[in-house]
Amino acid sequence: MSGPGFENLKALIVEDNAHMRSLLRALLNSVGIKDIVEASNGQTAIEALRERKSDLVLSDLAMRPMDGLEFTRYVRNNDQSPNPFVPIIMISGHTEKHRVEAARDAGVTEFLAKPITAHNLFARIAEIVERPRAFVRCNGYFGPDRRRHINDDYAGPWRRKDDYQNAEVR
Amino acid sequence: MSRPGKTAAQSVQFIAPDSYPQMLSKPRAARALHTLRTPETAAKAQAVLEAAMPAMRAAILQYVQEMERAQGDAAKLFEAAHEIRGFAETAGMITTGRIAEVLCRYMDDLTRFGRPLDATIVTLHVSAIARAARAEDDSVRTGQAVAAELAALVAKRLAEGEQ
Repeated sequence: MSGPGFENLKALIVEDNAHMRSLLRALLNSVGIKDIVEASNGQTAIEALRERKSDLVLSDLAMRPMDGLEFTRYVRNNDQSPNPFVPIIMISGHTEKHRVEAARDAGVTEFLAKPITAHNLFARIAEIVERPRAFVRCNGYFGPDRRRHINDDYAGPWRRKDDYQNAEVR
Repeated sequence: MSRPGKTAAQSVQFIAPDSYPQMLSKPRAARALHTLRTPETAAKAQAVLEAAMPAMRAAILQYVQEMERAQGDAAKLFEAAHEIRGFAETAGMITTGRIAEVLCRYMDDLTRFGRPLDATIVTLHVSAIARAARAEDDSVRTGQAVAAELAALVAKRLAEGEQ
């Protein structure tokens, strides 16, 4: 097995901090991802997505005028979105639980807490490559499956068809 | 697995990974995973981080100045502290990043619950971040001790507020 495997991948970096954009670009370069477009907020990122297909998005959370959450919701739900299934890694220093949950509920694929390390960034990319997530469309949400682990103690509510197929009826 | 207690099913569409375009084809995915995990890639990435450090450190010192100038303007101060916590540790300024993290969490929690900020706590943090950032050696014991003391003070004040 040889070669990087990423040579044709197109990436989009959405980040308002120029130093962080440059660092992320350099880290992606180091695994062979060369075709990279940068945007400084969600609004310009949408324009970039319209102009050119992207296979992977790295996005910051807090940006103006459009933040990473609004951008993710646009990508997942808007009729004009060029690729609602594109993997989005949200990278943020806002690691408070409520913000991570907001990112998850907006439809991000992975969440990476700053400070970033190469190891953590590559681990998130590997996760997307190795274990692509199913997508779920339901009332109020479209995005990667938010149930990452099977919890045997979970008591419901049960909302999916396959929940019902496996359910015990009393 | 037993799943009792059901109510009427809601409409949920489940789209398996094979049913939508993947980031990489299967042969490329295998090669990409290999690339991500080789020591050569880790070494290249480490070199990238080390090359970026001087610029990141300089940027952090700029944010420190912005943060010091912003005392009295909580939004601006938070913005600068947030940038510092974002990449101080990546730049090797561990203590600076950790103190900024404590300050951001304190400001975020209090603002979210509509509680006023304690100016003393904010000022102490700003001063500690500035001192830590300007000290070349971030692993000095005094910096770590200050970080621990400030974290304890914040935890105490937050606990008092909850009572």
